[in-house]
Amino acid sequence: MINTFFRSGTLDTPAAFLASLLIGIAFGVALEQAGFGSSRRLSGIFYFRDMAVLKVMFTAVIVAMLGITYAKTFGWVTMENVYFMPTLYAAQIVGGLVFGVGFVMSGWCPGTGAVGLASGKIDALVFLLGAIGGSMLYNEVYPILAPITQGDRGVIFAYDSLGITEASFAFFLTLIAVVCFWGAEYIEKKRYGKGDQWGSPFLKAFSVVLFVAAFGLFALVGQSKVTTASAPVTAAQQEGKLLAGLQAGLDHFEPQELADRLLGGDPSIMLVDIRTPAEFINFHIRSAVNVQVADLPVALAPYKNQGLLVLYSNGMTHPAQARDSLFRLGFSNVYLLTDGLEGFIKTCLQPVSLRSEPVPLVLAAKINAWRAFFLAPVTPVGETASKAKLSKALDLSSLTIPGLVTYRE
Amino acid sequence: MNPYLAGVLLGLTLLASYLILGAGLGASSGIARVGAYFELVLTPARTLASKYFGSWGEQPLKYYLVFMLAGVFFGGLISALLSGRCEFGVERGAKCAPKKRLLFALAGGILAGFASRLANGCTSGQALSGSAVLLTGSLLFLVCLFAGGYSAAWFVRRQWDD
Repeated sequence: MINTFFRSGTLDTPAAFLASLLIGIAFGVALEQAGFGSSRRLSGIFYFRDMAVLKVMFTAVIVAMLGITYAKTFGWVTMENVYFMPTLYAAQIVGGLVFGVGFVMSGWCPGTGAVGLASGKIDALVFLLGAIGGSMLYNEVYPILAPITQGDRGVIFAYDSLGITEASFAFFLTLIAVVCFWGAEYIEKKRYGKGDQWGSPFLKAFSVVLFVAAFGLFALVGQSKVTTASAPVTAAQQEGKLLAGLQAGLDHFEPQELADRLLGGDPSIMLVDIRTPAEFINFHIRSAVNVQVADLPVALAPYKNQGLLVLYSNGMTHPAQARDSLFRLGFSNVYLLTDGLEGFIKTCLQPVSLRSEPVPLVLAAKINAWRAFFLAPVTPVGETASKAKLSKALDLSSLTIPGLVTYRE
Repeated sequence: MNPYLAGVLLGLTLLASYLILGAGLGASSGIARVGAYFELVLTPARTLASKYFGSWGEQPLKYYLVFMLAGVFFGGLISALLSGRCEFGVERGAKCAPKKRLLFALAGGILAGFASRLANGCTSGQALSGSAVLLTGSLLFLVCLFAGGYSAAWFVRRQWDD
């Protein structure tokens, strides 16, 4: 099975950057070879004079779709290996309409604009500068637009929306694509007297290959019994699962276990501090990231059902509410730190000498190891893009946690 | 190149992106992060305090999609040079003044840049990558993109009239 950079949480490493650069080069070559270094050609689809955009994009969608579905059927990848964007109806409908207007006006889109710039097109340079400006504009009005960019419905697949299996949806989409290809050739033939590929042996063979590949999915999915389409879960079932989990205490993460796993450098844990930035800067558990409650669905979207997300605040109320809300948004990997930060400090970081009850030797050694790890000054870590805010240097002299006595050697 | 073969090449690239990176292709994120970088250089405190750009931290360019965008440029350059399609100029209809064409390119760029942030993706991230994994929202974006494009096409047709 393939372990993707996303799955291993290493999308922000130099290796992933290099892989992205290489994939980007292949992407740029494909776009340029398709003739998309030309805004005239790109805008052609809107005037039915050059249907290349439809042919190239629909072919790419079908090839990638069939490839991924086959990879899943053969067990090379699982759904957990891939980041899927959440569906936000209002943002995607309005965004799509406005984007389409921008596309036809400029004759470019962001990826093809970069190829156009490489091809020496000045209009592509102007488009890219405009797109940078449009992004800055978005940043300015984001607080006003935030409501429609939230209300996250989670990841929704079209075949689930329509209540059919993934294989049958893929098959229908392939059929539609083949019909569109012939339609596009027919439009060009009508207009210019000859189609690029109308009735050519190539297009006939290509259509048959796509058709067979899509049909093959049916046979495979039927035999291997790998159902990739998840059954729609009703709200009542969802709520029942949540309550059952609560009853079993499955949503709690014990402070000692957390301390041990962080000390061991467990990469599967993402610790999220939901207190205010001021409190976070003052003190936080080492390796925690600071995310405000309202930002949790967006900030944690890349980690949905990937590894363990452990939320903490000073106490338990806010993390519990946040955890329930995230669960309803489809997160099944969110845990609360039992007794919050206060409990963590009391259980793991309070010096042995200050404890009222006797401490066994083994635990005392552990407490000392935890204290050395969690109270050590940490060098400032560069803020990475994927995580909201990484720990700032932990300054012992500024610590004002009541009951916490620090020592230095 | 035969557009269907170029499409197959693009589809295989997208497939590789999903199987290696675990995420689809993207271009507009890289552009937005360049914008965030410019703002950080000019007004660091204000940018870090802003809700959207601020969430990308102090080094917005250290992001995989920024590297992908750089790759798209270099890939396009290599291919255009090898195919002899590299030439400077403003692409437009013969009767359209270059200034008018550039104005359309700028206005379209602003709209596309803004809309791609709103929809969290552009033709690459949503229409192509999202549709290939059959996400409802991405397919909806694709349909709306063409609806918006076709309804505005008539008004901006003059820039292509030869």
